[in-house]
Amino acid sequence: MAQQVQPQQSRTVSQVLLLVLGALVIVATYVYLVLARPAEAGEGAGAGPGSLIALGGYLIGSALIISGAMRNLTTMTLALIPVGIAINIVVGQVNTVLGGPLYLDSIGTVAVGVLAGPAAGAATGALSNVIWGLTINPPLMPFAVTAAEIGLLAGLFARLGAFRRPWWPPLVGLLVGVVSAIISAPISAFVFGAVDVSAGRSAITAAFLAYGASLLGASTLQGFLSDPADKMVTFFVVYLILVALPSRFRYRFPFVQRHRVFGKRKARATPTTEERSEAQ
Amino acid sequence: MGSRSCSDTGCSASGRRARRPRRKSAARHSDVTTTFYVDRSSPLHGLNPVTKLVAGLALIVMAFALSRPWWASAVLFVVVLVPAVAIGGVQRRFFAMLAKFLLPLLVMLFIVQSLFYPGGREVIFGLGPITVEREGVLFAAQTASRLLVLVGVFAALLLTTHAGRMMAALVQRGMSPKISYVVSATLQIIPNFQRRADAIVQAQRARGLDTEGSRWRRAKALVPLLSPLVLGAFTEVGERAVAIEARAFTVRGPKTSLVVIPDSRTQQVARWGLVLLAVGAVVSRLWV
Repeated sequence: MAQQVQPQQSRTVSQVLLLVLGALVIVATYVYLVLARPAEAGEGAGAGPGSLIALGGYLIGSALIISGAMRNLTTMTLALIPVGIAINIVVGQVNTVLGGPLYLDSIGTVAVGVLAGPAAGAATGALSNVIWGLTINPPLMPFAVTAAEIGLLAGLFARLGAFRRPWWPPLVGLLVGVVSAIISAPISAFVFGAVDVSAGRSAITAAFLAYGASLLGASTLQGFLSDPADKMVTFFVVYLILVALPSRFRYRFPFVQRHRVFGKRKARATPTTEERSEAQ
Repeated sequence: MGSRSCSDTGCSASGRRARRPRRKSAARHSDVTTTFYVDRSSPLHGLNPVTKLVAGLALIVMAFALSRPWWASAVLFVVVLVPAVAIGGVQRRFFAMLAKFLLPLLVMLFIVQSLFYPGGREVIFGLGPITVEREGVLFAAQTASRLLVLVGVFAALLLTTHAGRMMAALVQRGMSPKISYVVSATLQIIPNFQRRADAIVQAQRARGLDTEGSRWRRAKALVPLLSPLVLGAFTEVGERAVAIEARAFTVRGPKTSLVVIPDSRTQQVARWGLVLLAVGAVVSRLWV
């Protein structure tokens, strides 16, 4: 499995460019929606072009991120991504069946981001929602943007060393959850009219609206109530799982080696016993 | 080493498990890869998948671009989507799917927005502190008709298009084969994962794990499910990587495909026409 270094270097530049461009399109879309408030101009009846801009800008941004992220992946990463997506979907579905209070649908995305880097994480997130939307639950597709952002940030924070100590992942998860709530608010507000399949969440949004919040504001506040908690749990669970993996497996990913994602290389057996005691 | 499983989705490497005969999975999990696709021949099934995808996306863009009158997107749904689905012969399943995904959402939408829409001025119905405003009802109606198109397009796509053929057709039109591999591999992994998740849940129940009761209890029940499931999944990754490498997947240069999805000049022209139509709708919305 010898990696050719030369042709890869030049391709990395275009990869990073596409990722940055995609992220910029998404941020620009959001900023425009907040500043121009096109959806609440009212125009006598119905909404303005807010929903079109939210959907279009996010779609273009996600497409750029996917095409950039898939540019040069090692074989090992390519094999990892489908497993990450399957974990997202299966755990998310089981969680729905058990009726847990959180989403828990981004465990695979975060894991891939931590093991294989921001680009791979973003690709896992975005493709995960596309596949989920195309097979089980079409309304999830527009949220591909949020999923991509979760994978991207997970990779970036892992690079900064957030997975070297057990107390960092929940804190980072909190931060990522706040960003997720902000990014997904325009989609919930303008595409889905600020409601949710869950009656509880819709009631919360309705309460915010009744207190005078805008559509976007109410959706953002509703997101703040569920996203940060969900991502805190997700990041912590991912940390426990990855530390329990054999280090031989973790170090097959160049990203983990290059940035010392899990700190110094040493055998650790303690977390597995921690997990066992938790499971009791 | 993984085995090689070939179907009309092309060939992909997968773990040894994929070769075992499938047991019936528990009733509450349906096999997601085959749930919705209805295998029959109709003019809609026969179209090149890329044409259907472009048409669907163009329809969604138009639904979100046309804002006046508020029922413009509803017209698109009734005049374009419903007949298309009828031609495909999947109308019953189509409406069942829409009901399942959208009905609760739409009920919520009308309740919340007709009562609390921020831009509401004109009261059409009042009862003490509860007032229903015209603007809110219109906003809900417009959002609802757009959602019908958005979800309807994808429902129609999945009912009449095999995911593998869709990927093959997209690769023929220049999409990266890596994306196609990720999608096809995922669709193969999920059923076998669901079976494993079921087995783990049952094993943990046999140990006396509580999967009923309060929400907090049920959330806690996920922990002993997650670790075996995820750890088991990750150990297969190395095997898959070797299998991909052995098929020379990463070699650069031209590759041949097992299945060739038929395409025609007419459909190519139609696709460009649809793209122009969608762009026109957006331009008319933003600059006119």
